[in-house]
Amino acid sequence: MSQSLSDECTPLKRKYDACFNAWFEGYLEPAVSASVTPEQRKKFSQEKAAEFDRSCGKIWHEYRACVQKAVTDKGLDSLLNQARKADPLKEPPPPDSPRS
Amino acid sequence: MHYFSQFFNYDHPWSHVVIGMWHKYPNQHCTHVVTIDVVDRSVDPNTGIVRTERILGCKQKAPAWIVKLFGGSEDAFVREVSFIDPSTQTATITSVNLSLSQFATCYESIRYSPASQNKTTFHQTAEIQSRVNLWRAASDKLENFLVQRFEQNAQLGKLGFSDVLRQLWENHEQQQGQSA
Repeated sequence: MSQSLSDECTPLKRKYDACFNAWFEGYLEPAVSASVTPEQRKKFSQEKAAEFDRSCGKIWHEYRACVQKAVTDKGLDSLLNQARKADPLKEPPPPDSPRS
Repeated sequence: MHYFSQFFNYDHPWSHVVIGMWHKYPNQHCTHVVTIDVVDRSVDPNTGIVRTERILGCKQKAPAWIVKLFGGSEDAFVREVSFIDPSTQTATITSVNLSLSQFATCYESIRYSPASQNKTTFHQTAEIQSRVNLWRAASDKLENFLVQRFEQNAQLGKLGFSDVLRQLWENHEQQQGQSA
């Protein structure tokens, strides 16, 4: 597993990554086949989103606090905010048009 | 402005490639990617789309003329936003440089989609453009350097991720073989 921006955050990052990966590996294949109807997909997605929050929410908050501080300390916060403003990327980019 | 585009298939099913995405680094071919941090992540409770925003920290020596002209150091940071949509089996990853972004932008877009049961298509495009009205020659030289660097790294990415996927799923199959 790779390191964090800040050595101090690396143990939290690794715990969080491990938590996410465990959740994601159990999520992906059932999610692919859960697309029978939009209602079924919604129910499945709600359950899984809640499960992710239950499993990884606590470690995520700890890791995020650490990494936010590291981003600011490295002077990356203004660059990140500029990039977010230029392109929020809140929705997946449409097919066949890489540039939004 | 320069464009870069490539297509190829990985010999792994889509779900394996998308699980593997999170294990891509570190790998021996891409030692320039040193740090990875998630700065935002959400699972859409309606669509099931997983959105992840990360900052990648890279260390790769820049030629002396670049350091002289633009300053900076060997540390460069990239913002990456990915969307994984299980309902359409599409993963898209968009990246833009944070470092030296006042001079040039490298905007990369990757899409993974199933080619068949056991193959996944990788489609990568990039637009590389220097921003400043430097005198023309220097700005062309900068773009050409960035294009070369991008193409080298794109090749390393393919080699590295192929290794990671092979090892990941070989181990997995061995473990399954043992437990069966």
